[in-house]
Amino acid sequence: MIVLDKVCKSFDDGATFAVRSLSLEVAEGETLVLLGSSGCGKTTTLKMINRLIEPTAGTIEVDGRNVLDYDPVELRRSIGYVFQGIGLFPHLTIEENVEIVPRLLGWPSSERRERAHYLLELVGLTPGEFAWRFPDELSGGQQQRVGLARALAADPAYLLMDEPFGALDALTRDTLQQELLSLRQQLEKTIIFVTHDIFEALALADRLAILHAGRLEQVGTNDEVLSSPATGFVRDLFAKPAKQLAAFKEML
Amino acid sequence: MGTIEFVADRLPELWLRTGEHIRLTCVSTAVAILVGIPLGIIASRISSLRGPVMSAVGILQTIPSLAMLAILLALLGRIGAVPAIVALVLYALLPIVRNTLAGLEGVSPEVMEAAQGIGMTDRQRLRIVQLPLAKPVIVAGIRTAAVVGVGIATLSAFIGAGGLGQFINEGLALSHTGLILLGAIPAAILALLVDWSIGAAEWGLRPTRQAERGTFTVKLKPAALSLPLVVVALGVGAYFMGPGGRGGQTAAGTIGIASKNFTEQLILGELMGQLIEARTDLGVERRFNLGGTMICHEAIARGAIEVYAEYTGTGLTAVLKHDVVADPEEALRIVREAYRERFGVEWLEPFGFNNTYTLTVRGDDAQRHGWQKISDLGLTASELRAGFTFEFAERPDGYPGLRDAYGFSFGEMRGLEPALMYEAIARDQVDVICAFATDGRIAAYNLKPLEDDRGFFPPYHAAPIVRAETLREHPELREALAPLAGALDDATMQRLNYEVDEKKRAPADVAREFLVSHDLLRKGE
Repeated sequence: MIVLDKVCKSFDDGATFAVRSLSLEVAEGETLVLLGSSGCGKTTTLKMINRLIEPTAGTIEVDGRNVLDYDPVELRRSIGYVFQGIGLFPHLTIEENVEIVPRLLGWPSSERRERAHYLLELVGLTPGEFAWRFPDELSGGQQQRVGLARALAADPAYLLMDEPFGALDALTRDTLQQELLSLRQQLEKTIIFVTHDIFEALALADRLAILHAGRLEQVGTNDEVLSSPATGFVRDLFAKPAKQLAAFKEML
Repeated sequence: MGTIEFVADRLPELWLRTGEHIRLTCVSTAVAILVGIPLGIIASRISSLRGPVMSAVGILQTIPSLAMLAILLALLGRIGAVPAIVALVLYALLPIVRNTLAGLEGVSPEVMEAAQGIGMTDRQRLRIVQLPLAKPVIVAGIRTAAVVGVGIATLSAFIGAGGLGQFINEGLALSHTGLILLGAIPAAILALLVDWSIGAAEWGLRPTRQAERGTFTVKLKPAALSLPLVVVALGVGAYFMGPGGRGGQTAAGTIGIASKNFTEQLILGELMGQLIEARTDLGVERRFNLGGTMICHEAIARGAIEVYAEYTGTGLTAVLKHDVVADPEEALRIVREAYRERFGVEWLEPFGFNNTYTLTVRGDDAQRHGWQKISDLGLTASELRAGFTFEFAERPDGYPGLRDAYGFSFGEMRGLEPALMYEAIARDQVDVICAFATDGRIAAYNLKPLEDDRGFFPPYHAAPIVRAETLREHPELREALAPLAGALDDATMQRLNYEVDEKKRAPADVAREFLVSHDLLRKGE
């Protein structure tokens, strides 16, 4: 379980806040989507969980322990992270990219390899075809599959995903979303997924957390949020795409 | 002598010099890598050090090479391979540090964040991600450093470290094009070889892509990687094929004799060396063709060498920064006292000749116009074309002072290289030159040095100078060199220079012939 309690983050000594007094609980096995427009503090929140950024105030607990009490390196190795920019290592093969965290953890190489091949298969990349390629020999969608496999390599309980499909075309994004949904059934991970895409959020979320200007506007299931928006911002957020969707249906 | 015989004759030395050259380049590049890459890494990680480190290596690069050698000689107190390698290392640092820094900082921020985010420590991030990604840029820096190093290593000869520059230096000193090429061509080939081998190795380091797997070229990669080692091995091999190399400091019981890099100095060095060899039990190590007065001076003052021939005027003005003294006796007295006190160096008795500047005209012109003295030129000076060295045109004891002293200036003045000056007057391109009084070409080209009737040019009497400490330990040195005192008048020195400059004979042979003809080589008397 991940618990955020009154977390604040300011990058300019308190003049402005990227995240303000954010409290959230992420239950075991659920997928929580942090939804909001750019600059709302969702990526900052994600990075504070694995200490890429440290909070200015408040506490974050992972498995009942303050993240500041963890060794940051060990903490990060125990949490899978899928990056917005994918961030594969261009000089390493796909296989080497996937097995990097097990390598840091000192797994024996045969075990690492086996794991890497299993995960490549899992994300839909045939190891025989892809294991020895370099990242720039793959398409964007394939690269992000590798990014996901890398995040899963050491079998972490938690998975942080920072707009992982943001840079992909709509079709590829849709396919990957569907695959992530089915993967989730098999893997039983606790996932925190950051996106600005309302449809992506609704498709993937067990619960939605809507952020605006560093504040939590509402948290709840899709139904709760849609049927009883807690703030004007949340209502407007969904009203606009609903109107667009209606207009689109009429055109069809 | 044909080209083949010329090269064949020099082949053992060519091997030695090539080996020395590769050794200088390899050792210095290796040290620069060991120092430069960590420096680059430190500069990339500690941002407050980046500016100072980059400025420091940048400034090193701007120090002129001769000045660098002179400074290092002063700091290290020795000549030979050590200061040369230190200088080469300092020059090689800039490309290596700069490229290391650029390579490390060129890694995309996304990749860096990913490395941190998946749980790499700072060191792991550097080792697993940053350094491998920066590798091509770093290797490119090493390549630049090594290729430039091959070029700069030719200057090592100035400080007695040998290498192919030795031929170039000797060739320049003796105006011997063959010798210059004997150094320059192998140096150019070596530079290409180094460039090519490191380029190949860089290719060998590149990751093999899926499409290239199993192709023939990929199988060549390990071989390509080892090419720089082949060049190193070549150097080691060449070094041992030549006669034993010359090392850093003069060995005990031997006297290090230096010379500057022009004909007369080489002959004087040989004269002194052969006399010492013949008349004492001491060995002689020849450190000839050092890069000019400052290097020779530092070398003797620091005890890196024991003996060389210096000129009173040069000691006075260039070393002691003293005003010009017209009286030769007075000039000698001043340098003798100052050298003894300040450097622990003794001036022995001068050889006799005065290698000063002389205004020199064509012999037939002199006859036709009745020119004997400089003053005689006064009436027609405005119609005469002068060809002066750039140095003479600027020095206060050159043309500017001359104009003041004699009250006339020439109609036209051209700046010329010393070697070209004699050609120019012989071919009627100029009418007056600033010849060196003892230059062999004065006689060879039938030129007439005019008498300095107003005593304007300071005296440049050459004399052996010896470390006082060495004279105390080996008093026989003074005796061994004594026969040279007053033995060489202007005409004699001119003739010896002529033998080397125009007849292309070796300075050692010319010196030996002189000593034999004067019956000076017999031990003891």
